[in-house]
Amino acid sequence: MSGKVLSRNLTLLTAGNISSLVIDSLCDQAQEENIAVAGLYCDFLAQQEQTTTNIMGAILKQLVSRGGIPNHVRVAYQKGKMEFGGRGPRLVDLMGMLKITIASIPQVFICLDALDECLPKHIPELLESLRDIVRESLRIRIFLTGRPHVKGDAQRYFSKVVVIPISPNLDDIQNYVETRLDRDLEPEAMSNDLRVDIVRVILEKISDM
Amino acid sequence: MSDEDAQIMRWLSPLEPNNRHQSVRTERFDGVGDWLLETSEFREWRCNEGGADKAVLFCSGNPGVGKTYLR
Repeated sequence: MSGKVLSRNLTLLTAGNISSLVIDSLCDQAQEENIAVAGLYCDFLAQQEQTTTNIMGAILKQLVSRGGIPNHVRVAYQKGKMEFGGRGPRLVDLMGMLKITIASIPQVFICLDALDECLPKHIPELLESLRDIVRESLRIRIFLTGRPHVKGDAQRYFSKVVVIPISPNLDDIQNYVETRLDRDLEPEAMSNDLRVDIVRVILEKISDM
Repeated sequence: MSDEDAQIMRWLSPLEPNNRHQSVRTERFDGVGDWLLETSEFREWRCNEGGADKAVLFCSGNPGVGKTYLR
């Protein structure tokens, strides 16, 4: 297995997965607990489109899809449609709509994956908007992931942010590698010694990271 | 969803985060990351303990591990 393949597969074990796991575990309880979950994966390839306005709009979209579009959003849309032949909402409009919407939901979770994949110029405004929402209600929880270099940004806006370091978990990786080996299309081509070596070398390399 | 509702959704944002979530969760390897859900930090955050001070949880990924996105 070359280093490149190794690192590509390792990405399977990291933050995007963690975020999707968190989103799914929250959604599993959403029905019974009357909570709403919104989540967005920041992406290098979508940086231009992932502005604060579009991200906050997407969060609102997910929150309103839960119980039908509220009337205040419908009214804002109709008003926007008539002005200048249909203008998009501005950030300030979306923040207003978000605050009204959140006030009607007992508990709201917002998950934002890979903050570091946003354009650096978008990050302060995005964090400021999230802080604005958090200050609005005690029932908002925000889950962020990102490389360590954006930790300082998060701490600047949320001085008491709780940080959990994610490092490759060796048990997870061993399980993953063994499952992949079990699914090998030509198992007879691999001796048991080779199999043991593959697992050992991968785990050693990861421990050195 | 009615036509107008669909238009309102597009007006709110052109982003469709649910699509991405579907693809990431389909690729997810069972059991990976379950440890996080068991940490006291996550549980406290999840159960809304600690109030506004602990409203935000940040999972910081090791730079040696690679990027987040899956293709």
